[in-house]
Amino acid sequence: MAVTNLIETTNLTKQYGKVRCVNALNMKVPQGAVYGFLGPNGAGKSTTLKMILGLAKPTDGSITLFGIPANEKNRIKLLADTGSLIESPSYYGHLTGEENLHILQTLKGCPKENIDEVINIVRLNEARKKKVAHYSLGMKQRLGLAAALLGFPKLLILDEPTNGLDPAGIQEMRELICTLPSHYGITVVVSSHLLSEIDQMADHVGIIRHGELVYQNTLESLHSHAKQQIALRTDQPATTISLLHQDGIEVSKEEDYLLIPMLEDEYVAHLCRKMIEHHIALYRVEKREKSLEDIFLSLTGKESSL
Amino acid sequence: MKTLLLEFYKIKRRNVWLTMFAMLSVQLLWGLWAFRDPKDWELQCGWMSLLYHLSLLDGIMVPTMMAVLASRLADIEHKGNTYKQLETLRSAGSLYHAKAICGCIIIMLLFAVQFVFFILLGYALGYEGNPDLKYYLLSYVLKIASNLSLFLLQLALSMFFANQMVPLVAGLGGSMAALLLMFVTTYSFLPWGGNLSAALVMSEWDETTRISTYFYRAFSSVETAAVVCIFVWIVVFYAAGRILFTRREA
Repeated sequence: MAVTNLIETTNLTKQYGKVRCVNALNMKVPQGAVYGFLGPNGAGKSTTLKMILGLAKPTDGSITLFGIPANEKNRIKLLADTGSLIESPSYYGHLTGEENLHILQTLKGCPKENIDEVINIVRLNEARKKKVAHYSLGMKQRLGLAAALLGFPKLLILDEPTNGLDPAGIQEMRELICTLPSHYGITVVVSSHLLSEIDQMADHVGIIRHGELVYQNTLESLHSHAKQQIALRTDQPATTISLLHQDGIEVSKEEDYLLIPMLEDEYVAHLCRKMIEHHIALYRVEKREKSLEDIFLSLTGKESSL
Repeated sequence: MKTLLLEFYKIKRRNVWLTMFAMLSVQLLWGLWAFRDPKDWELQCGWMSLLYHLSLLDGIMVPTMMAVLASRLADIEHKGNTYKQLETLRSAGSLYHAKAICGCIIIMLLFAVQFVFFILLGYALGYEGNPDLKYYLLSYVLKIASNLSLFLLQLALSMFFANQMVPLVAGLGGSMAALLLMFVTTYSFLPWGGNLSAALVMSEWDETTRISTYFYRAFSSVETAAVVCIFVWIVVFYAAGRILFTRREA
């Protein structure tokens, strides 16, 4: 049976004391996707990813990985095909980058050649014999990604992977993540609090706010919410509304403006002529676009950081 | 097995061996100084005297050594935030087990070196006869057991607390307790008193002749219970440490 969703959570909940960090989360990560897990700081992204990896125990709910319900007994077996980078990279500072990867390669039981391959992918060739304590934060982050890529798992879970990277590094990381499904058949879950970042990497998106999944669908579908409208400002809004209603056009009011759907240029010209005939003074005709940021903010709350 | 071998790989360049052997060297240097130029009566009871002094030295120094060893093994994981990665590849229990076994092997090797050195020293000084192997072997086993119990206590603390000051302060406090115990008793049920309870040779100092008499200890029932207690501590500290470690969240 083909597995359509590599990760499925059902009512996944995590409570610390009286605080509910994750609340009845139903996450679905389709195979072959780059799933952007988006939410403001403290929304519950890392806690959710930790629960998926078995690093935190859910208070309630269940997790299915690769179509198999995960539990304490089969957790390690299921995670054998998973790579992860949670919060900050894990490393032994007194060992070299290569030695660090050797430890994980041995634990994962993958071929030694994998070490060279992942070092090449993350471009750490020159620093492979250097002690990790002497690495910059960006290099440590790349080492963390190399460690996650070891064995070329089916599923890669990356929590804020661009943290600490310079703009060039961020760009490199984004490009790499985008190629993982097509080049290596890896499904990627990548979390971020930056909408622009997810917009450039993901094809599926889940938006979390105060521990609740407020949106989950393809990025394309999210973009379709970014609808265009025409805003009109006149001296006689009531007459303008009745004129528009005569033509069967829906109108909504926003402060001094009347908002109507995006219409053909010919109809807008016809409408303007009609308003002049009715002695309506037309002050403004503007094109309005609800941006992804607006959608994100409306889903997560205005107070959230982007 | 892989996990255990990797424990030794991980401590590469961490100077764990060097730290342990540096502390052992202090004992060895003390031995060279204290046993130099032995008198006739000292040569006669030399092998017993060695066992007695080793117990004394270990009682003073080893609790600190065990705290340092446990801290060195656990600290590499805390510093690099590695548990959250390792625990996706191995269960927390097996990671804890590997650390405990790794420490146990180091302790066994450490005391093997100690025994070999002091036996060679005894021969070099011309002690009469040969060491009583039965007592030396028993002493080695009890020494491993008492120090393993201490190590497991320290490991539990070091693995649980990211700040290594907590277990190190506990270790130093324990060393002080061990030292004080030596003045007042010949056995103790406290984990830090294990070296005291496990001592096989006792001594009596004659003030007038200024000669020490050494004799093998006849264990009373309470002293035997203190020795059994060492093995109970091993089980308790290992289980408690493992439970604490596996129940926490990475």
